[in-house]
Amino acid sequence: MIRVVMGSEPRLLNILRAVVIFRAQEAGLSYPEAEYLALAIDEAAANVIRHTYGGCHDALLALEVRNLPDRLEFLLEDWGPKVCEDLIHPRPLDDLRPGGLGTFFINSFMDECSYEQDCQEGNRLKLVKFLSRKGDWCNEGSSTQSG
Amino acid sequence: MKVQVRNLDNISILDCSGDVDLYSSPRLREALLAEIKADGPSVLVNMSGVPYIDSSGIATLVEGLQLSRQTKTRLGLFGLRPNARSVLELARLHKVFTIFAAEAEALEKIGSTKPFSGL
Repeated sequence: MIRVVMGSEPRLLNILRAVVIFRAQEAGLSYPEAEYLALAIDEAAANVIRHTYGGCHDALLALEVRNLPDRLEFLLEDWGPKVCEDLIHPRPLDDLRPGGLGTFFINSFMDECSYEQDCQEGNRLKLVKFLSRKGDWCNEGSSTQSG
Repeated sequence: MKVQVRNLDNISILDCSGDVDLYSSPRLREALLAEIKADGPSVLVNMSGVPYIDSSGIATLVEGLQLSRQTKTRLGLFGLRPNARSVLELARLHKVFTIFAAEAEALEKIGSTKPFSGL
């Protein structure tokens, strides 16, 4: 298990991506596959910085990566206000406008995505990639929730 | 991430190098929108030095595309790496942008009188 705690600074997002790529490759994924997972985590962390923390760079966020026999689990934790899941929707792809693709990428590259309900303070987003489904990277139309 | 601008026969070329993410995309946005507003007929974005692009980088390109339609500027991308191209394809944006394989092709076609499909 790896746990990284860092400031909510956009310039540090490359550290999260490196951790995800390292652990995903350890789990047997190819570099391009690992990059897709890194993109999903990057988008989730960027959402925390932009939306949960409102662009504040003085807060903290944490990423925990668990390599399990059949899956990779990512726990992204923040200490901001509770996220209202009902307000999170990927934008329709036909709607050409800047923004709104982060949630779409998270849902596309992860198999499961949900907020843990027992989190007393802040938010804990759990993202799962099943290793049996590696190579199946496009979960387009997924109805799972994301941050 | 770095963005360097050069000019070839009235065509602005933005050579991008490094990851384009939440941290660096404002630099690309500033350079791209400035070139499109500069009243030149054509702007090309060289993506061959970009190993990674996230949704904020894609949003910047979409914003540039929308502005280019207003200003009647031809906007094209070239040199996309496989993962960046895959991400654009997944978001169904590969048919919205005018994408060339390499600079030579981009310069050749942007110099022709045939309008881009993206315009």
